[in-house]
Amino acid sequence: MDYVRVGSLAELGNALGRDGATLIAGGTDLMVKMRAGSVRPRLLVDISRVDELREVSMHPSGLTIGSAALVAEVLASPTVSTNYPLLATVLRSLGSTQIRNRATLGGNLANASPAADSPLALLAYDARVTLAGAGTERTLPLHEFFLGPGRTALRRGEYIRSIDLPTPRTDWDVFFHKVGRRRALTIAITSVAGLIALRGRAVVDVRVTAGSVAPTPIRLRAVEDLVRRRELDGEQIAAAHATALREVSPIDDVRATALYRRTVTADLVARFLHEASESTPTSP
Amino acid sequence: MNIRFAVNGREVSVETDAETRLLDVLREDLHLTGTKEGCGEGECGACTVLLDGLPVNSCLIPAPQVEGREVLTIEGLADGHRLHPLQAAFVEQGAVQCGFCTPGFVLSAYALLRSNSAPTDEEILTALEGNLCRCTGYGKIVSAVRTAAERMRESP
Repeated sequence: MDYVRVGSLAELGNALGRDGATLIAGGTDLMVKMRAGSVRPRLLVDISRVDELREVSMHPSGLTIGSAALVAEVLASPTVSTNYPLLATVLRSLGSTQIRNRATLGGNLANASPAADSPLALLAYDARVTLAGAGTERTLPLHEFFLGPGRTALRRGEYIRSIDLPTPRTDWDVFFHKVGRRRALTIAITSVAGLIALRGRAVVDVRVTAGSVAPTPIRLRAVEDLVRRRELDGEQIAAAHATALREVSPIDDVRATALYRRTVTADLVARFLHEASESTPTSP
Repeated sequence: MNIRFAVNGREVSVETDAETRLLDVLREDLHLTGTKEGCGEGECGACTVLLDGLPVNSCLIPAPQVEGREVLTIEGLADGHRLHPLQAAFVEQGAVQCGFCTPGFVLSAYALLRSNSAPTDEEILTALEGNLCRCTGYGKIVSAVRTAAERMRESP
């Protein structure tokens, strides 16, 4: 296996055109797969020192995160904790301190695990990904990027250039709950993230995402459509619970059964809405 | 290929390849066997070293990626025969049993105390979340870190 460290996007475009080339940034997923023999690159293209891929910057239309920005760097960014608190919350649960010091957001997306943590926040914030290749560039919504377990819209010779999040509402309340056997280094059995904006008990807008309950991380759009612009009362929350039960499509695997995942996911959706309704002052 | 980097303040040059991990270079080429291999997949933290001051799993890093960078291993912590306050506290508090996980725990704690001289127990647990111990239980490890932090604040 050969190794090349690229220093610029131009070098990267060329290196990716070579036979058997695989990108490496932090290597926290790739090294495990190489050890297991499930990935056998002929050439490792190291992008960890391409400065253009490491920016984390706020601008008038939102936030841009370079694909090779470390999870720890994203977490250290004050603009992320201030403007995108759900992203900060979710990233704090990713891996461990050691993993967050190496792992990148682009890597977490390219790995395309149905159980990945970062997509739950990114999907909720309507993130878009920019994919670049030698002389090409296209941008697509993150939900179109994931095609299935380990499968993405990346074409041969393409790489993730950046992740863009639009300017968020300032009145989002945040929810995140990951179910696993321990707090750190756990692969989620199920996880639910949510953003909700309320006026009184009326839902102005809402986003709900879930992991480990479908071939890709997903938005629970039927749940969102059901409760948006409605009053959050017990009946509405029960209806959302029933909708969530139907909207997820989990499988049995070594970590849990499909039935358990389905039930707990719907319960978490109900908990999210219930906690939001409790946090609003009731009008006299 | 040849790579050059710094280990415990000393410049080294090693003939290696992309199939070799930083962990292997440290143990096999440089004979720094304080760094242990546990799971080999980033779950246990026994192979933790500091890379440019940050704790990382050396089992997940292809050797060429450390070119030009600084690595600190457990061998670089003591001052000659004088233990670092963290090492001394681990010994005193009985935070060591078989010892296999200890280098990783000490280095994770060292990185924490460099950026936060008075961590809460919650912050200590977060800093150590990537390190597993199968013998002592974590209470003594956390109290060793707390003790070391107190002493280092008193006599920095």
